[in-house]
Amino acid sequence: MKKRKHFNWAPYLLILPSLVFLAIFFAWPMFRSLILVFRSEDNILNIRAEPSMSAEVVGQIRQSVQVIVLENLCIPPAENEADKTEIWLLVRGEDADGNTIEGWAIDRRIRVDEEDPTSGTVRRRDLDLREEPGPISPIAGTLPVDTPVEILESDELVTWFRVSGPNDAGEEVTGWARYDFIKIISTAHEQVEALIHRGDSGEWTLQYVHRMITDRDFDDALIITILLMVIILPIQFTLAIVMALVLQSRLRGNTLYLYIFSIPLGTSDLAVGIVWYSVFTQSGYLNSLLNALGLIDHPLIFLSPETKHWMILAVVLAEVWRATSLVMVIVVSGLQAIPLEYLEAAELFGAGLWKRLTNVILPLLKPSLQVALILRTILAFQVFGVVIAISGRGLTTLANEAYRWYNEFRNPHVAGAYALFILMLSMITAIFYLRTVRTQIEEGRR
Amino acid sequence: MTEQTALEMDRAQKRAILKRHINRALTYLLATLIAIWILLPILLIATMAFSTVEAVRAFPKSLFPNPVSTETMSFFLNSQNVLSSTLNSVIVALMTVVISTIVAAPAGYAISRYIFPGRDLFRLGILTVRALPIVVLAVPMAVLFIQLKMRDQLQSLAMMHAALTLPTSILVIGSVFASVPRELEEAAMVFGSTPFQAFLRIVFPLAAPGIAASAMLTFVTSWNEVFAAVILTVRNRTLPAQILTVLGTSPLEYKFAGGFFMLIPSLIFIFFTRRYLFNMWGQITK
Repeated sequence: MKKRKHFNWAPYLLILPSLVFLAIFFAWPMFRSLILVFRSEDNILNIRAEPSMSAEVVGQIRQSVQVIVLENLCIPPAENEADKTEIWLLVRGEDADGNTIEGWAIDRRIRVDEEDPTSGTVRRRDLDLREEPGPISPIAGTLPVDTPVEILESDELVTWFRVSGPNDAGEEVTGWARYDFIKIISTAHEQVEALIHRGDSGEWTLQYVHRMITDRDFDDALIITILLMVIILPIQFTLAIVMALVLQSRLRGNTLYLYIFSIPLGTSDLAVGIVWYSVFTQSGYLNSLLNALGLIDHPLIFLSPETKHWMILAVVLAEVWRATSLVMVIVVSGLQAIPLEYLEAAELFGAGLWKRLTNVILPLLKPSLQVALILRTILAFQVFGVVIAISGRGLTTLANEAYRWYNEFRNPHVAGAYALFILMLSMITAIFYLRTVRTQIEEGRR
Repeated sequence: MTEQTALEMDRAQKRAILKRHINRALTYLLATLIAIWILLPILLIATMAFSTVEAVRAFPKSLFPNPVSTETMSFFLNSQNVLSSTLNSVIVALMTVVISTIVAAPAGYAISRYIFPGRDLFRLGILTVRALPIVVLAVPMAVLFIQLKMRDQLQSLAMMHAALTLPTSILVIGSVFASVPRELEEAAMVFGSTPFQAFLRIVFPLAAPGIAASAMLTFVTSWNEVFAAVILTVRNRTLPAQILTVLGTSPLEYKFAGGFFMLIPSLIFIFFTRRYLFNMWGQITK
C-alpha cells in the first residue's frame, strides 16, 4: 500500500469492551479449569528449618506419610493478628526419595493420633465454652488462652471436647469446645506418631481425572448422554426439515404457523422437563389417555429406575419438543438462501418432492445443517435440566455428574474434570463435522 | 384434435389439479398436526397450573381445567423462597441485560459499520465462544468467585450470564445495525451533524426495536439458565435453581405450577420478538 489513510482506531475501541469481557469470563476460566483439574494443591508438605512460615524449606514429605513428632512449640497469638495459638511440630520422616528429613511443620497439616486425650491447653484467645457441642449452643463460660484444661469426654466424631479449667476469675468452668481450639499434643512419650494430613504445596496430577473415570456413575453418564444424542439428533433434524418445508410451501396462515412452530425457542429446559413429567408421571396424561381408551385398568409406572427405557423416551420427546425449533429456524434461513429458480427448474423437469429434496435442497442446505449440527451436538452434551426434571436420580448425564460432584460431594476438581471432558467431546465432534463436510465440498469441486 | 384427446387432456388436467389439492390438504394437515404437537404440552401444563390441587393429584386427568382455579398457582407462589427467588431471577436477568447490551452494542456497531483487519477473526472468535458449553465455565468461575469472596452474589451470576449471552447479543445487534441504511447516517452528517449525533438521532431510533428484541432474548436466556445458577448460588437462589433443588421432594402441584410459571416469560418473548426471529437465530449461519 502506497498511500495509507491514517489508521482507523474506532472499530477496535468499539470491540474492546467485549474482548475484555470475553477474556475475563472465557479465557481465564478455561485456564483456571486446567489448574483445577490437573493440579493438586495439597499433595506435598514443605518441611521447614525453623518454626515459621518464612523459614527455609529443608525438604518435602508427601501426604499420608507416617512421621514421628519429636518436639512441639507454641507460638502465642500476636496482638491484632490470628486469634489462635500456632503450634509447630518438629517432625522426622522420609521424603519421596527415601531420605530422612527432620524439620518443622505447622500442626494443622499433620494429624496426631493421641488415644483418649486427657489434658491440653486452650489455643484461642478467650475461648467460649458451650453447653452442648455445637457453635449455636449457649455459652457456659470463657477461658483465656494457654489455660491448662482437663479433657473429660469427646463427642462421637471427636470434633468437640468437653473440657474444664479455671477462667480469669479463677472459677472452674466446664463446657464444650471445638477440637482445634484445644491443644492436646504432648511429647511426654518417647515418640509420638503422626500422619501428614494435608500438604501446602502443589504438583501436577491425574488423580482427579482418574477418579472421574473410575467413578461408578461415569460409564452410565457417558452412555446415557451419547445414547440420548444419537436418538434425538436424527429425529430432530428430520422433523426440523419437515417443519421448514411446510413453512416454505406458503400456506395461508403461514405467519401463524411460523409463530407456533417457534414457541419452544425460548423455553427453559427445566420447565419443559416438568411439562413432560406431567405426561409420564403415574397419575399423568399418558396414563389418563390409556385409561380413557380402555387399554389399562390401573396406571402404569413409567418413570422408575426399573423402566429406564420409558425415562429415556420421555427425555427424547421433551428434547425434541424443546430444541427442534432452533434447528428449524436455521434450516428456514438456509432455505431462504436457495434461489427459487433451482427448485422451479427441478420441478419443471419432473422431479418429485423426494428427488428435489435429496438432489437439490439437502445439498444446498449443507452449510446450514452443519452449523445446526455442531450447535445441537454441543448442546446435547450438556443436557441437564430436562433429565433431572423427568428422571430425578434415575438417569444421569455428564453435566448431571459435574453438578453432583460440585454440589453434593463438594469436589470442584472432579466436577471440573467432567466439565473439561464435556468440552473435549464437544471440540472433537465439532472438528469432526467440519472436516467431513469440508472434504465433501472439496470433492465436489474436483 | 379429436374430441377424445381433448377429453383425455381435460381429465389429465383435472387429475393434476386434484393431486395438487390433495397435496395442499396434506400439507395443511401436517402443519396442523405439528402445531398441535407444539401447543398440546403447553395446554396440558396450563391446565395443571389452573386446576384445583385436588384435580392435580387426581387420576385420570382431564384436558381442560374443571373447575378453573388459582389454588395451585397461589400454593406455588406462596411456597417458601418462591417469591424471593423470582425476585432474584428478575434482578439477575435485568443486570444481565444491562451489562450484555452495553458491552455488545458498540461491538455490534463495529462489525456492521466498519471493515477492519481482524473483523472476520473477531466474528469467528465470537462464534466459537458462543458454542462453548456453560458447564465448562461455571465450575471454575464458581471456584474463582469463592476466592474473590463474591460467592452467592447476584452480580456474580449476572456477569456469568452476561458472558454467556454476549456473543449472541453482538451478532444480533450487529445484524440490526446492518439493516439500518448507511445512507441515512451519511445524509445526517451531510446536513452537519457529528457522527455521534447521527448515531443518536438517526441510527439508534431505527435500531432500537431490534436492540429491544435482543435484550428480551438476553432476559429470557438468563431467566431460563439453571446450571450456572445452581452452581454459583447457595442462598440467593434464582427461580430455576430454587425449583431444581427442591424438585425431588416437592408435591405435584408445586412442580406443575412452577413449570408453567417458568414458561410464561418465554411465551411473551416469542410473541413480541417474532419479527426478529431470523435476526436472532438465522444469524449464526452467515
